[in-house]
Parts: sequence; C-alpha cells; structure tokens
Amino acid sequence: MFKLFTDDMKNIRKQNRRRPEPLLDAERRKDPGLAILPQRDDSELGGLRKKALYSLVLVIFFFAVIVTRLWFLQIQQGDSYSELADSNRVRYQEIAAPRGNIYDRRGREIVTNRPSFNVIWTRENNKIDDEWLKTLSRILGQDTSTLLEKIRKMVGVPGHIPVRLAEDISWDLVARIENNRMYLPEIKIEVVPLRVYHQGNMASHLIGYLGEISKEELDKADKELYRGGDLIGKMGLERLREKDLRGEKGRDYMEVNALGFEQKNLKGIEPLPGQDLHLTIDIDLQRIAEEEMAKDNRAGAVVAMEANTGRLLALASAPTLKLEEFVGGISQKAWQANLDNPLHPLVNKVVQGQYPPGSTYKAVTAFAGLAEGLVNPDTTVFCPGSYKFGNRVYRCWKKGGHGTVSFKRAVAESCDVYFYQLGLRLGVERLARYAKMFGLGELTGVEMEHEKPGLIPTPAWKKSKRGQPWQEGETLSIAIGQGYDLTTPLQIAVMTSVIANGGTLYRPSVIETVFGPDGQAAHTFTPEVLKRVPGQGKNFKLVREGMVEAVNSKRGTGREAQVDAAHGIIVGGKTGTAQVVRLAQYKHLKEKDIPYEYRDHAWFTCFAPASNPEIVVTVLVEHGLHGGSASAPIAAKILNRYFEDKFSDQGKASEAAAKEARKPAKVVLSQEMLEDTDAPADEDAEDNGGETPQQEQLPH
Amino acid sequence: MIFQFDRRLLQHFDWVMLLLLILVSGMALTNLYSSTYIADTGASSVFYKQLLFFCVGLVMILALMTQDYTRIAKAGYVFYVLIALALLYTLFFVKAIAGAQRWINLGFFNLQPSEPAKLILILVLASCYAGMDVPGGCRLRDLIKPIALTLVPFGLILVQPDLGTALICAIVFVSMTLFVRLRWATLGILVSAGIACIFIGWKFLLKDYQRKRIETFLNPEGDPMNHGYQIMQSKIAVGSGKVFGKGFMEGTQGHLHFLPERHTDFAFSVWGEEWGFAGAVFFLSCYFFLLIWGINVVMSAKDKLGALLAFGCTMLIFWQAVINLCMIMGFLPVVGVPLPLFSYGGSSLLTNMLAIGILMNVRMRSFPVT
Repeated sequence: MFKLFTDDMKNIRKQNRRRPEPLLDAERRKDPGLAILPQRDDSELGGLRKKALYSLVLVIFFFAVIVTRLWFLQIQQGDSYSELADSNRVRYQEIAAPRGNIYDRRGREIVTNRPSFNVIWTRENNKIDDEWLKTLSRILGQDTSTLLEKIRKMVGVPGHIPVRLAEDISWDLVARIENNRMYLPEIKIEVVPLRVYHQGNMASHLIGYLGEISKEELDKADKELYRGGDLIGKMGLERLREKDLRGEKGRDYMEVNALGFEQKNLKGIEPLPGQDLHLTIDIDLQRIAEEEMAKDNRAGAVVAMEANTGRLLALASAPTLKLEEFVGGISQKAWQANLDNPLHPLVNKVVQGQYPPGSTYKAVTAFAGLAEGLVNPDTTVFCPGSYKFGNRVYRCWKKGGHGTVSFKRAVAESCDVYFYQLGLRLGVERLARYAKMFGLGELTGVEMEHEKPGLIPTPAWKKSKRGQPWQEGETLSIAIGQGYDLTTPLQIAVMTSVIANGGTLYRPSVIETVFGPDGQAAHTFTPEVLKRVPGQGKNFKLVREGMVEAVNSKRGTGREAQVDAAHGIIVGGKTGTAQVVRLAQYKHLKEKDIPYEYRDHAWFTCFAPASNPEIVVTVLVEHGLHGGSASAPIAAKILNRYFEDKFSDQGKASEAAAKEARKPAKVVLSQEMLEDTDAPADEDAEDNGGETPQQEQLPH
Repeated sequence: MIFQFDRRLLQHFDWVMLLLLILVSGMALTNLYSSTYIADTGASSVFYKQLLFFCVGLVMILALMTQDYTRIAKAGYVFYVLIALALLYTLFFVKAIAGAQRWINLGFFNLQPSEPAKLILILVLASCYAGMDVPGGCRLRDLIKPIALTLVPFGLILVQPDLGTALICAIVFVSMTLFVRLRWATLGILVSAGIACIFIGWKFLLKDYQRKRIETFLNPEGDPMNHGYQIMQSKIAVGSGKVFGKGFMEGTQGHLHFLPERHTDFAFSVWGEEWGFAGAVFFLSCYFFLLIWGINVVMSAKDKLGALLAFGCTMLIFWQAVINLCMIMGFLPVVGVPLPLFSYGGSSLLTNMLAIGILMNVRMRSFPVT
C-alpha cells in the first residue's frame, strides 16, 4: 500500500512537472492553494480509497445476500420449486375407461359399450376462425351459429377442457373430417365409450342408467376418480355396482409451454376397463315377463327365482322405465309425466311396491298351523260361506261356502273360513313369528335400491304406531293376508321358495359373476342362506301338496298356471287377491265397472316342478282383480319357457349328462336339510309322526 | 496526438480484468445460446447478434485504451450534449414500442441512448467532482452543478418512460456524490430531499403500471397472472435448478416460455435453472470478483479523476447487477434493469463493456510510466 502511495505521489509530481492536463490545469489555476496540491490530492485520494473500502464491504455484503438467497431457493426449497416447475409444464388429459358390460346368465349382452366419436376443439390456444368454422359446419351440416353457441356455453370453464362441437358422429363424418384435416388443424376427434342397451328398456329398474355426475355426488366422491362432466351410475346396478363397472381412467401426459401449446407427449397411463357383470337374469324369461305385463298396459311385478339358490331369473317391474328419457338427465316435463302416470313407472314394484299378500299368505298360516300341531292333513272345517266372530260376520270369498273342507282343499280353494279359524287359534304373535321365518316383513337384502320391508303386524307394533290395542278380529284379517299385512312381490317369491325348497331362505341375488378386465372372475355367486326352518320337511310338503291341488284340481284357484302338458311338469301355486278398498259402493258393481284404482291387486305365486321344485315364479298385477285369471297365465308362460329352454339344453347334451346336471340341485337341498334333521327333507315323516292328529273340527 | 500511445503502457495492461470480462461474457453467451435456441433452426440470430456486439465491444475497449482517461473525461461534455439530444430525439421523433420511446434506429442496430447516457453521466460527474476542490467537504451549492448534470438525462429517461434506467442514473449520482467528501449538513439535506422526492414521485410521477409493480412485489400472490407471475416463474426457474441444475439446454421454465424476458432481464433465471446452485455460485463468484477488481482499480487509481471514473463504472455495474439479481430472486419488484454483461441487449452490452474499458484504462495508467 505504501509503495502504491509513493508511486502515486511520484506520478502526480511528475505530472505537475510535465505540465498538467488542460482541463485540470484550468481548474487549478483558479485554486489559490496550488502549491500544496500534491499533499491535499494525496489526502483526498486517501479519503476516496477509504470509501472504496466501504464499497468493497457493500459488494461483499450483497454477494453474501445473493448467495444465501440462492441457497434458500435452490437447496432448501429446490424440491418444492421443482414440483412447481413440473406442474407448470406437464398437463394431462383423461381418457375415459370403457365401463364394464352387463350380460345375462347365458352371456347374452344386455348393456355394452361402443366407441362414439365427438368433434372437439380446445379453446385455450386457438382462435375462432371463420375458415375452419365454415368448413366444419359444412361437413357436419350444422349452422355456424349452433357451433358458436356451443363454444359460448363453455365460457368460464378452464380453457384446456375441450368444447364438444358435435357428439356421436357417424364413421362417415369422421372420415370426412380426417380428409379435411388440413383445413381443420385445430379440430380433434375424441373417442368416448358410450352405453349400448341391446335389450332396450329391459330390466330398466334393475340395470338403471348413467348420468352426468351431480355437484353433490362430486362433493362426496373421490376427487382422484371423478371430475365434473363424468358419467356415473344414477340408478340400479349402474349405481350400486359403480365401483366394479367404472374401471380406471387413463391419462395422457403432455408437456406444454406457457401458452398451452403441446410440445410433446410424455408416457401416459392406459385406461383400465371396468369389470363385467354377469347377471343371474335370463333375458328370455325377463322379456316374456315384461311383454306379458305390457299387454293391456298392466302395472305390477314379476319375479322368477331359483328355489334352491336364490338366483333371480327375471325381475320385472311394469311399466318399465324409458331409459332414453333418463340418459343425459331427465327433463322436468318427462319426470312430471312419470310422476303423474297412474301406473307409477318410477316405482320398482319388485322391491318398492308394498301390497297386502292376500291369499298367498294362507301358505304361511297353513304351515304355521301344521308346525304348531293345530291342524293336520285330516283336519276339516265346515265353510258355510261366512264366519261370525264377535258381532261381525267375516265372509268367505265364495258366497255359497265350500262345505266341509280338508286342509289340502282349504289351501287349494283358498277357503277363507278355514283360515279365519286357524288364524284365531294361532294368534297374531305366532302368525307374525312364522311370517318372519318366511322373510316377510323384512328386507330381503337383494341388490336393489330403496327396498321396502313390508309389514307384518303385531300387537306391540299396533300399540306403538297406532296407540291402540290389538283387536282379535284383526287377527282374522291378517290370517288371510289382508288388514295391516304388507309384502313386496320379491318377499312373496322368497316365501314361496322357502316352501318349495323345504325350509331354507336364501338371499335373492342378481349377480352371477363379476369378471375383471383380465378375464378372471373377481366374484362368483354362491347361495347365501339367511334362515332355516328346520325339521319341518313334512309340513312343507303338505303345504306344497295343497298348492299343487290349487293349480291342478278341478276347483283349484290357479288352474291357469298349468304348463304345457308336453313338458310333463306339475306346478304348485297359490292365488291371492289384495283388497284395495272395501267400499260398499263398489261391492255390488260388476268388476269391469269398478274404477281401475279401486280394483283388487291380483297375486299368483308358484313353484315347479311339484316333485322337486327348482323355480319359483311370483306375479303381481296391480288392480288385476283375480290372481287366477290375471297373474297365473303370466306365471305359466314363464314356466313354459323355462322348461322349454331347460329341456332343449338337455336335449343338446346326452340324457345321462342331463341327469347329472339335475343332481347337484337335489344334493344341495338334501344336504341343507341333513344338517338340521339327519333326514331328507321330503321324507322325514318321523318328526311329525309323534304329534296327535286332530280328527275333530276346530272349535269355534 | 490522438493516436499517441506509449508502448510501455502495455506492460500494465489489465489482463485480469480482460480475463474476467471474457469469462463472464462467455457464460453470458452460453446462456443466451440456450435461452434463445430454436428447436428446428438451432442458435437464433439473437445469439449471433450478441456475439457480434461482444466482438465490437472488445474492439471498442482496445480503441478506448489508446486514449488517456483524462482526455476521455474531457470529451465527456461533448458526449453529454450529444446523448441529451439523442434522448430528446427519442422523445419527439420515435414511435413508442410497448408504450416506451427508447430506441433510435441506426439502420444496422437500434441504439438505446439511455444506456450510454449512464456511462456519459459518470464521465461528466467524475470530471466535475475531480475539478472541485472544497476544503472540509462539499457544500450544497457545490452540488448544484452535478445535480443539474444528473437531472437532464434522468428526467429525459424517466419520461420515456424507463424507470429502471432513470433509477440507475440517480443511484450513480448518489454513489459518486457519497464517494466524494460531503459536509454532514449537506448529507442531511440531501437525504431528506431524497425521501421527499421518493414520496412525491410515488404520489405523482409514477405510472400506474409502475406503482402496480411495486404493489405486486409487496404482495406477489395477489396478482398471479401478471407481475407477480413473472417473479413467481423466475423463482420457480431458479429454485427448480437445485444443486446442479437441469443441464445446459434442459431448462423447462425458459424453453417452454414460462419465464418472461428470458434472454434479457431474466437471463440469470435461465442460468440458475440450467446450472443449479453450483453454476450460479461459480458465475456470481466471477462476477463479484470482477466488481472487487474494479474497486481495486479505484484503490490504485493515480488521481482523483481516475478513482472517480473507476468508482462510477464499478458502481454502475454493481448496482444494476444487485437490482437485477434481487428482482430475479424475488427481493425486488420487476424493474427493467438488465444484468450487465449478461442480459441480451446491444446498447447495454457495449455500454458496460466500455465501462470495463474505462476501468482497464484507469488501471493501466495508474502505474508510473518509466
């Protein structure tokens, strides 16, 4: 430093000696202290150097600040900024997963998907330009104003979400757009799977429909899986099995720049198709059920079920929903029309319709009587056409009376007087207990929405709900399935199946198999036993015999349920009439003159074959008047088709193989019963043999 | 006389400064190559232009070396008048580009007169202060001339409007004034006047967009798509570089256009993104060593004029760099101040290279010629 100083001083002196620079010279000449200039200059230079040192501190300080900041940004927070950079540049577009297909029990398509082609345009980086708009409107045959309107509707939606200019266009149009690609650089074709309903509105209540996800659903849904505009199951299996059917969306990743232009495609994720549902439903039986109900514009329900497994073969609620009204959101007008329709198409009558079981309930009363030992096959009752209890007369449906009726005849001809008396002896509590054994008054647990439990009244129920004590006279009503009794058609089918299979209550099911996208079964149907009525094989058989009489005896109420003699199948069944009103003003009217909504509901429930029941069919026709005439023929048609198909299947295979095929069902049944009774269901006579047969008439 | 050149001066040629200049400029050009690279055509014309300017700058430095800095300082007033006229010309005869009248089309390149104005201001202030000899420090009336000298370019640049450059002029004036001896009273008056000016300026002089920028800076998340967006994107770029960066030409923020002004004001963001903390620290070390070397030139200057010139040039580069870097790293609002020697821009590069040339000139002539 010192050397520098002295150097400088020498330098300055030298300069002074050498004649200073003109500018400085001029300044100095004014200066009186010129003589001591070198020293002062020196001291002033020293001051400047000191300040230069301060500035050095400043420079180093700022260097430290900036490096520290860099450390903070790049090292400390580097990872989070890295993520921000990635989210800046990577954008994804979702690829819809094909929804799972729905098949019937024989693998026939009910609902599948097909690719649909949509014309899309992404707003963000593109300008609406007359040229492509005109070309496109020419190809699509739409006005430019309609196209512009669609674009206008999307204002306010994030720019990278494409605008659909045309939906589900034909192959032909796709080809034309591709041919004009150079004039339509910004237009893209999007392929989206669309639901195809191969069977029209068949089983619409069961299968349901899809709709755009609502705001409430979106709030509840997993945001990873759903976003606005997605389709989601709104009803039926589409809703209940949403998880299986939806699959997993794929994603296309692309790198975009700040303006949103795609720069390149990154590796994406392929969509995973949804799982396929194979239903237990048989579309042939389902079609017959629906077509029969559609005749004469009937409302009601048809259930066909395998007696020994709980598989539902047909589940019809009439009238069916018109799916086309629901796809894409139902209009207020159509909804109101559905609400106002006296046939109530919106109600799935299979599980939501609650009707008094009518005489079908007599099967329960009959069984209870046998099981409690109050009656035996030989117990007879004299039916004069009415029964006086207290100060009221309870009529039999047959004005003239049945005369002396045995147990079997009472079931076959549905003698009210017999069951009034039996009901009185059983009492309301015992009747309710037996009804529960048959699954009445309880949810069946089937995979359908909004199932109603029905109602089997007890005095406790009446006390709590109505605040009134039980009237003994009401027991008479409920014994024949009127009064407070309410059941759904599915419950009656389940009840019949319990009688048919000798005491096992299976959960009714609609799903046979769920197939994953790899073709592996993710879930396979296995019969699920909910309840068992043990040791009553003989009594069930007696009830069945009564029901077989009902269909096959001359005076039976369900004669129209007989199937084609060629099949050699005997059907057992029970008719029922659910009273809607008991108004005197309609009593004297001819049936056809009674207003529709006051006519009685017509029940028929049956099983076949009588010897070893395998199928149960229950039919309810709302306001159909008589089970025997309105409902039984429908059951017969379904049974006919069922056995036709069965025998033709067997015909294809050898006779031996057919026998083999029939065996398992029998074995299952026997095993079920063996567990409880050590004896085959239909042959266990010993159990009830010990009971004293009641020879005399029931006391009044 | 003009081309008189003492060969012995070559012995004292400031090789260190030249080396640092080439190092920094080399990194600048590398970065520019990456940030303006076009996928299909390769290096952009912007890169070649800047390379050309750099070569021109080197030649100009060499030409500058031949002249004694006293002679240059003396000529400062001539340049001063010329540049004031040029600034006036831009005001009245140049169509605004993006709302600002900054460029004069010279045919071969667009001169931005506000850039050389900063350097010329240093020349005139240095010769003004060097000629001043006030025992006990400057009084207020001694400062009238320097203030007047500053106000002319400051005002002309401010109305262009170019807040950043005007601000640099003011900072150069303040730095150089503080550098010479001031009386405490003068200092007090100046500081209070300065505060008053800032207040009045905020209230009346600043354009809405400038006020907005400062407001956004104070609350960047409030305005994500505009000025806050630029700062945010810059921070993301620098931050995502992490320790070793994404690699040359691999930066996503810059190449995908998320960074605004990625080859001019935000050039260092690209560098930080592609070379990471390691690369950024290396660059900053070179850069700040250049500045420290500049202060060394101040220390070794043989006279007041040399020290003042060297100090002014060093501070010119230093303050621009600090403002630019702080802006990039989110410490300051977006003001249009480039990173000297690093950001793209012919006028800026030439001006700053000439400033380096003056430093080298002072350094070379600080040694006695034997």
